[in-house]
Amino acid sequence: MAEIHINGLGFQYPGSRAFAMAVSELHVMAGECVAIVGPSGSGKTTLLSLVAGTLLPDSGEIRVGQTLINQLGETARRRFRIRDIGQVFQAFELLEYLDVTENILLGPIIDSAVNEQLRERAAALLSSVGLEDKAHTKPARLSHGERQRVAVCRAMLNRPGLILADEPTGNLDQANKQNVVDLLIKQARDNGSTLMMVTHDHSLLGSFERVIDFEELTGASA
Amino acid sequence: MRGALFLGWRYLAHHRFKTAVLLSAVTLMIFLPAATRLLVADSALALTARADHTPLLIGAKGSQLELVLNALYFHAERPPEITSQLLEEVRETGLATAIPLNTRFQARGAPIVGTSLDYFSFRGLDLAAGRMMGLLGECVIGANVARSQNVGVGDSLVSSPETVFDLAGVYPLKMNIAGVLEPSGSADDDAVFVDVRTTWVIQGLGHGHQDLEKAGAGNAVLTRNEKAITANASLVQYNEITADNVREFHFHGDTSGFPLSAVIAVPNDAKSSTLLRGRFQNGDIDGQLVLPRTVLGNLLETVFTVQNYVILGLVMLSLATIAVITLVFLLSQQLRHGEFQTLKRMGASRGFVSTLVASELGFVFLGSLLLAAALTWGARNYATEFLLSFMTL
Amino acid sequence: MKKILIILLMASLMACTDKAPDNQDASDTQTRPVVVTSNYPLYFFASQIAGDQIDVRFPSIDGDPAMWVPDGDDLAMLQGADLLILNGAGYESWLAFTSLQGDNILDTTATVETMLLPIEEATVHQHGPQGEHSHEGTAFTTWLDPKLATEQARTILQGLSNLKPDQSGLFNANFTALEQGLYELDRSLARAFAALDGQPVIYSHPVYQYLQRRYNINGRSLHWEPDVEPGTRDWIDLGNLVRQHPAKLMIWEGEPTVSVREKLTQMGVRSVVFSPAGNQPGEGDYFEIMNDNIAEFMALF
Repeated sequence: MAEIHINGLGFQYPGSRAFAMAVSELHVMAGECVAIVGPSGSGKTTLLSLVAGTLLPDSGEIRVGQTLINQLGETARRRFRIRDIGQVFQAFELLEYLDVTENILLGPIIDSAVNEQLRERAAALLSSVGLEDKAHTKPARLSHGERQRVAVCRAMLNRPGLILADEPTGNLDQANKQNVVDLLIKQARDNGSTLMMVTHDHSLLGSFERVIDFEELTGASA
Repeated sequence: MRGALFLGWRYLAHHRFKTAVLLSAVTLMIFLPAATRLLVADSALALTARADHTPLLIGAKGSQLELVLNALYFHAERPPEITSQLLEEVRETGLATAIPLNTRFQARGAPIVGTSLDYFSFRGLDLAAGRMMGLLGECVIGANVARSQNVGVGDSLVSSPETVFDLAGVYPLKMNIAGVLEPSGSADDDAVFVDVRTTWVIQGLGHGHQDLEKAGAGNAVLTRNEKAITANASLVQYNEITADNVREFHFHGDTSGFPLSAVIAVPNDAKSSTLLRGRFQNGDIDGQLVLPRTVLGNLLETVFTVQNYVILGLVMLSLATIAVITLVFLLSQQLRHGEFQTLKRMGASRGFVSTLVASELGFVFLGSLLLAAALTWGARNYATEFLLSFMTL
Repeated sequence: MKKILIILLMASLMACTDKAPDNQDASDTQTRPVVVTSNYPLYFFASQIAGDQIDVRFPSIDGDPAMWVPDGDDLAMLQGADLLILNGAGYESWLAFTSLQGDNILDTTATVETMLLPIEEATVHQHGPQGEHSHEGTAFTTWLDPKLATEQARTILQGLSNLKPDQSGLFNANFTALEQGLYELDRSLARAFAALDGQPVIYSHPVYQYLQRRYNINGRSLHWEPDVEPGTRDWIDLGNLVRQHPAKLMIWEGEPTVSVREKLTQMGVRSVVFSPAGNQPGEGDYFEIMNDNIAEFMALF
């Protein structure tokens, strides 16, 4: 379980005066399932990237658990992404040339840390989402819903304290959207993980404990 | 970096067609120039080895190259003939061992080489089965002839007529196989060896028929007196020489005028070689004497020049191929931008992605190198023999 | 330790394979040069000269060695010989249709070429547009003249000495003994044929040319075989011959049939066998056969 604190966050894409983001304060309790809702292109993905350590803020601090992300070096931030958090992306972002099990193990593959324990964990996760018979199937042969379930398994492999989900239902039909959201929340709760999901789809907000308006958060509506 | 290598390998394995095309292109880029150079070098070595081992060659005046190719490789292009008289003249000098060659005829596409037993010890040819030819009409065949025509000791081969319409001229002689030679990796593997007198029988200069002096020959006798018997056209001539009829075979005319293609002269020593060459240069012996090594050396110079142009062409082609592969590769990287972004977001470093890309290139290059090495090995072991077989066409 | 034992084992195995096989010893035939002769007299001469220093061989031939057609085993023996001793003078008609190595052939009549006799009664046959062709030849039973035989033996001596120079002393001594034997044979034959005193004789077969010349025998030849009954034509030819050449003696190369002998006797022609000894005898050697020939001849006088 990881608690998230963001204070005085300021970020601007280099060379872009058009986009700047500021978050004066954001606190997510450990184990909380939070949805951040806002229009497309408002910067929700950027926020998640900052929390994940993919981007560095220009000012302010981001604390995940005991770790001050903005003060970590690049290597430490990469390790943080592989070992401490799980990420689910809108476009699934499975590698076409790896099978389902290898996609789930992508983090450890990058880290050259694949072991038998992790393989068993991957198999168990697949089983929990009803895809045990697709263990060696390539993503091209899966439906969109199945791919996103695999992505969720990938995110959950290391029992992360924090799950960051960026528009995970963006490419799904209505039935699958709710299924994926329910799956994410169930996995988070079963694992004791904090879940931060950004979305522009208001129909999914009912499942979350707290909904944060992104424009209010960043003062953009002002 | 193990992870990067793993991903690189899986990427290539997934895109089989693209990988195969890349592999093929790079393999050919490496293999073609290498193989060209090696094959030419190996063929040149094989050619010169045989020429080196043939000190002096004697034939009719004319094309030296034709003489050498026919005598060393039994090439189908025949030089003008010499007579057996020249063989005797060389023997009488006492300066060299003279080995006759008559390569006019063929048996099912294999050249029939009329020679003497000295040829086998000269070429270091050993028997794999049977024995050396002993009786007129017997033959000893090269290893490839035995294999390709599925014949062995105790079987037979029939000499081929030179043209369909010349059946009354060249004698289709059934030759019994006395022995099969061990493979030698030379033109000898593809030849049928007979005593030179057997080739004269094939040519019709000698023949065998029923004994006209015997009582049963009555119908074949046209006239008979105390000194001479004249036969008529019903005389039965034999087309196979056996132990039973070999005594009936004979030659008509002076055998010193009978034809040969060439004579291999193995001089007793360096001085003898010089003396023998002098005899030909002075015109004491009519004919031409050549050094096969020199003749082939001139030919090989031309071959090497052509080889260099071929390799230059291949190198230019390789450069163009590299340019195309680079372009394809860069385009591919652009298309994989999203994949690389995913990896970075998942925690991969820039170095990881570079290693991934480099490993794909590395695998293709390594695979191509191995394939090219295997192809080159195969070419060296089999193609050289195949190329040299063109010398006997 | 284990490695040392393995190395020792391998070394001992290698030493074992270097050992000569059990069926060979230092003085076995495989270390002696092999010499093959084309008829029995040459075999006898070569054996007398070489002693046990050289493996002298004569093929097992059925019938007249001059008409021999070697088989596969014979050809292998001829081709594998270190030296091939030939009579020459056209004796080895099989040379015309066999393939042999050129550098190991010894022609024992090469040095006496000027003393060879032509065969006068050769039949010619012709066919086709090429016209007449002759098969003339040379008489080849040279060993029946002890003088020529001595020269043949001398050539053999030279050949064997070249083959095994370290034994030339022995060969020379053996040759001297053989030469003496041939000299005495010559004298015995001269005494025997002197009894004819110019009387005409008939030979069953034209194989006595050199005997005739050496001992001034007045002879004419038929073409009869000892084991073949002559036909009517043959008897007529004999009758015609006897009228021109009133012989009372026919010299046979082998024992004629009883009926032929009797018929000849009725014609007033006695038969005597003088074996040319061209082939390996059942018993006895060359000198013994010649002496038997002389004894049988002398018994008529």
